[in-house]
Amino acid sequence: MAGIGFELRKILSRDSYTATLHAYVYAGLISSGPWVLSIVSVMLVGIISLGLLLPDVLVRQFLVTVTYLMATSLILTGGLQLFFTRFVSDRLFERRFEQILPNLLGVLLLVTLAAGFLGTLTLALLFDQPLIYRLLVLANFVVLCNLWLVIIFLSGMKAYNRILLVMLVGYTLMVVSAYLLSFLQMPGLLLALLIGHSTLLFLFLYDILREYRAEKLIAFDFLERRQVFLSLLATGFFYNLGIWIDKFMFWFNPGTSGQVIGPLRASILYDLPIFIAYLAIIPGMAVFLVRIETDFAEWYDRLFRAIRDGETLQHIGQLKTEMTLSIRQGLLEICKVQGLTAVLLYLFAPRLLDWLGISSYYLPLFYIDLVGVSIQVVFMALLNVFFYLDKRTVVLELCVLFAVLNAGLTLLSQYLGPSFFGYGFTLSLLVCVLLGLHRLSSALEDLEYDTFMLSR
Amino acid sequence: MSHSNDTPLTDICLLLEGTWPYVRGGVSSWIHQMILGLPDLTFSVMFIGGQREAYAERRYAIPANVLHIEEVFLEDATHLSESRAAPRAADEQQLSDLYRFLHHPEQPAVELGERLLASVAQGQLTLDDVLRSRASWATLSGGYREHCADPSFVNYFWTLRSMQSPLLMLAEASRRMPRARVLHAISTGYAGMLGCILKQRWNCAYLLSEHGIYTKERKIDLAQASWIAESSGQALNGSLDAGSGYIRTLWVRFFERIGQLTYNSADQIIALYDGNRQRQIKDGADPARTQVIPNGIDLPQWSAALEARAPGIAPVVGLIGRVVPIKDVKTFLRAMRGVISAMPEAEGWIVGPEEEDPEYVSECRSLMASLGLEGKVHFLGFQRIQDILPQLGLMVLTSISEAQPLVILEAWAAGTPVVSSDVGSCRELIEGGSAEDRDLGSAGKVVAIADPQATCAAILELLRSPASWQAAQASGLLRVTRYYTEALMLKRYRELYQTAMENC
Repeated sequence: MAGIGFELRKILSRDSYTATLHAYVYAGLISSGPWVLSIVSVMLVGIISLGLLLPDVLVRQFLVTVTYLMATSLILTGGLQLFFTRFVSDRLFERRFEQILPNLLGVLLLVTLAAGFLGTLTLALLFDQPLIYRLLVLANFVVLCNLWLVIIFLSGMKAYNRILLVMLVGYTLMVVSAYLLSFLQMPGLLLALLIGHSTLLFLFLYDILREYRAEKLIAFDFLERRQVFLSLLATGFFYNLGIWIDKFMFWFNPGTSGQVIGPLRASILYDLPIFIAYLAIIPGMAVFLVRIETDFAEWYDRLFRAIRDGETLQHIGQLKTEMTLSIRQGLLEICKVQGLTAVLLYLFAPRLLDWLGISSYYLPLFYIDLVGVSIQVVFMALLNVFFYLDKRTVVLELCVLFAVLNAGLTLLSQYLGPSFFGYGFTLSLLVCVLLGLHRLSSALEDLEYDTFMLSR
Repeated sequence: MSHSNDTPLTDICLLLEGTWPYVRGGVSSWIHQMILGLPDLTFSVMFIGGQREAYAERRYAIPANVLHIEEVFLEDATHLSESRAAPRAADEQQLSDLYRFLHHPEQPAVELGERLLASVAQGQLTLDDVLRSRASWATLSGGYREHCADPSFVNYFWTLRSMQSPLLMLAEASRRMPRARVLHAISTGYAGMLGCILKQRWNCAYLLSEHGIYTKERKIDLAQASWIAESSGQALNGSLDAGSGYIRTLWVRFFERIGQLTYNSADQIIALYDGNRQRQIKDGADPARTQVIPNGIDLPQWSAALEARAPGIAPVVGLIGRVVPIKDVKTFLRAMRGVISAMPEAEGWIVGPEEEDPEYVSECRSLMASLGLEGKVHFLGFQRIQDILPQLGLMVLTSISEAQPLVILEAWAAGTPVVSSDVGSCRELIEGGSAEDRDLGSAGKVVAIADPQATCAAILELLRSPASWQAAQASGLLRVTRYYTEALMLKRYRELYQTAMENC
């Protein structure tokens, strides 16, 4: 994520309130961007179609379909995202720029084939919807899987204004075409979604193609064992599984869910609060990106440059202290901002839900989800720091723990009854964050020892 | 005798560093001579090299009485370990002993060295401990804070690593070595260190022969070294040169300390000549354990050369040696200018290969031309010296550094008196060492190094005075026959080996 750190520092160096605001908005969009924006735009599509007097049940089917598309595509590609991010940054570090593009195309080809195959299989065996629905779902699934991989490159691109523009174009197109195509009912909405995401995918791809030169069209160097870290595949998988597993458990628990379309089930009770709560992570994510990618990354660079360039051990120690301080400040700031957001939303939640036409019955669950997603921001920040420090095993450990705990505690909460719903998710994140902090503390303690005595 | 059950495979275990059988040279041919000269004894060899690729081809055929050759390369020591398992908790005391003995500014106590050797030899302290344990990190970084004057930690770190890890690696590699009755190291340094470790383990007699003085040679290398900055870290910038002072000090200290360990551990410390023996004593060798065994030549081989000599004094002055700066051929040429001015019939021959330093060769040739010696001085290239020596009236050695040059002994065996610069054992050779030896008279002249006038005067004095030439020829012949024969050298080593084997 070196590129974005540089851009953010540049904006921040202008040293004015508007510039700072600018940096945070940008960071917020980039970091939580595609993911959260998808929720927003899908909701917008939903609201528009409600306004167009499409049947309630149709809108609901659409929203659930999209949710499943998001969840499954993220779980499927989560491992590859991390795995390929590391591959790309290693190649960038080696300055072998010509390898990036062919390998991106290689990985996209693999993803397209795998997603297409799995999607076709699932849609053919488990669904009895009209062919047009199944085809559109398949197309959306493949496009999303590809989009998640292309998004890796966003943070590395310098033309951030262009990124914002592309996002604006893509999502506007999605909403507008939903409006125009709504007469086609469900296929129209799915087509609008496809148009929006394809626009994003191809415009970003176009930018990446322009940015990196290549000597061949396609390459599969990322399949070479020496060049990659297989554990990242597991890490990414478990991380995304962890994020979604509680939802799946609520969807497939007959007591908390209902059938919506084909084999897809949903839990109105559980889904709505948590998706709204997810919108609350935007400020936290923005702070996280700015702090980690500017302050922390800068101290990190200085620390390791000092080690390589032969500074004194004392100086190395001082830089480590500074870096530790920057992590502490970053986490503190995330907590402050995210805490404030959570408190504000807590206060306004009754009115907000009322305004969105959601029953106040959801309030307790919304509150606990608010806490949960806020902790999730801290969790993501921790994972990012561990990635910087190249503590891959710690990240894997935390992600596996998260998935296992979330599954276990969610199951427990289902037994305990509705007033405990959401606690599984929140509690598992809390445990992981506490363990992560402990691990981080000892990793920083042993930093010099690890670097000199155990590296490679 | 030993506590180990396995019976010795060989009589003598030779510990060699960068020499036989891979590299040609004085020490290697001496080793070869020893192995061939003692065919009734069996040998095993542990060869220590730096980088594997530098030793691709063996230069000597392995004699039948060499039963085992083990090779170990220092470059393997710092190769990063593949182990992913968590390092074990190493003994802090042992690691701090290691630091104190090798790197601490204060001279370590003898007991400390013994304790360290014991823990290394018994495998209590392992390479992995040194490379990866927390205790190792603690002593290493503690030592940096306390003593290091060089600002670059990464340089210090890699310097200590590249000192410590070879020792541990050698200790581990030496476990593969089959037992022998006697250990014989042909230098201090890594070979000597290996001897200390094996002695601890086998509990047998340990001989040390030094041709040069290893520690001194390393110090000279280090004084000229440009490699220090490169090899002691992956540091890439130029700022290192200024700071490499402490790194240099660490290296010098390291070689001094392992040299000291070898002197403490060896039962017999053998030098080629008394000058080196004094140096060993000065460096910490116990005088009671030191002795001199000079090199010897195979005299019967030279009787033909002696007979081939024509009567009278041939007005031919020869320098036998490679044409390289260390032989100081230019001083020889300048001296020849004076000789030929006084004795126009005289000739100068320079006999030796010229491939090694072509630039120096061409400098010498243009000096010859500018001194007007063309036609008087000849570069003969590499020749069989048995053919050359009988034709020389005098052999001249102008070297600025020598140990115990065999060519002086060979010149005497062929009946040629010698004029030599005062380096290494040359004065001891020509004028005699012991009182008995001195009574044989002078077998030539000794002059100061790089002194053409004195060299010229010495040459003229011998060439023009048949009486002193005859006397020098006679005492040279007598001296080489009495003190410097191969048979004598082999006899003395055989006796040393036999005593050592009896005591084991």
